Amino acid sequence: MTIDRATIAAYVDRELDDIAARRVERAAETDPEIASAIVRYRALTATLAAHYDPVAEEAVPERLLDLVEGAGHVDTSFAARREAKRTRFDIPQWGAIAAALVLGLTIGLRPWLPAGPVAVEGDALVAAGALSQALDTQLASNQPADAPVRIGLSFRDHAGRYCRSFESVAVDGIGCRTKGRWRLERMASGTTATAYRQAGSESLAAAAAKMMAGDALDANAERAARDGGWRR
Amino acid sequence: MRFEDELVGLLPRLRRFACGLARDAADADDLCQAAIERALKSRRQWSDGTRLDSWMYRITRNLWIDERRAAARRGFQQPVDEAVLQIAGDGAAQVEAGALRGDVDGAMARLPDEQREVVMLVLVEGRAYREAAEILEVPVGTVTSRLARGREALMHLLGEAA
Repeated sequence: MTIDRATIAAYVDRELDDIAARRVERAAETDPEIASAIVRYRALTATLAAHYDPVAEEAVPERLLDLVEGAGHVDTSFAARREAKRTRFDIPQWGAIAAALVLGLTIGLRPWLPAGPVAVEGDALVAAGALSQALDTQLASNQPADAPVRIGLSFRDHAGRYCRSFESVAVDGIGCRTKGRWRLERMASGTTATAYRQAGSESLAAAAAKMMAGDALDANAERAARDGGWRR
Repeated sequence: MRFEDELVGLLPRLRRFACGLARDAADADDLCQAAIERALKSRRQWSDGTRLDSWMYRITRNLWIDERRAAARRGFQQPVDEAVLQIAGDGAAQVEAGALRGDVDGAMARLPDEQREVVMLVLVEGRAYREAAEILEVPVGTVTSRLARGREALMHLLGEAA
């Protein structure tokens, strides 16, 4: 065979430019081995299409459609922001949750163990350890699927600070860059505490929408902000 | 177009893709549901003007990999024949040619995840090699080599190899 299998595959997958495709076609006219490889590759594609395409032609289940259609509540529209202002998790409640959480997260801390995700600095809670590192460096647009901390939104708040929402096993929340640390402005129990989870993550999105000045950072802006050390 | 409208328009293809990854139809719709939830929650990470379908394929695929890893951590044992099938992956040639004639699900199940996802993206979803590489966040050369192995294994198992 004068043309290798990878090239034949690329031809069948329409990856070749016109000149290269023509070369394969001409070779197939005189080389039955190439012609038969093309037929077999096309047959496989057709077999797979015949098997899977009916799924795409079925009616989409209602529960999936409802999920999308019911989603207008958490978005950046003005309506959503107005809604967010009415959120029941307002500052006093957040403060109480944060106080309860920080007891749980720091009281058990022993100096010989690795640092927990939260520390007390002056009168504020700040991110520490792996959480602090994730907020410093991790990009939402390019984070590993199994990252222990998942970054949600990055945005500037009304004071011009960079803020980032995050989820992790121990704690979910929003950290805002203040004097070189990630000051935790919102906290909720982490993703393992299933009882809190739904209310927690929804109100986190609502809290972020409320704090946000303008839109959330896109992937490029997020990268630029990180590379600039999250300085205003 | 509204984000939600565009997402609804993608659901048929997303279900097809999920079906290829998860094999079981109920698992596939659970996977779709998780992908939709993730997309709605992190929609601000999707930059307008970039392809929503690629983003959704990536979310779906990453959730599936998460699920597989979590199952492995829980010590979930696959049924015996499934375990054998997985091992068969690259050694599919040792299985009798045409042993699974007509059984596309069975043949796909014999592929390692990394080959199955490429086969789905390129051969079923019709993505270009470059797009598949972006979705999977691997080099194009990795896509073409995984595709070649997956394709040869499928043709062998389904009895369409030379």
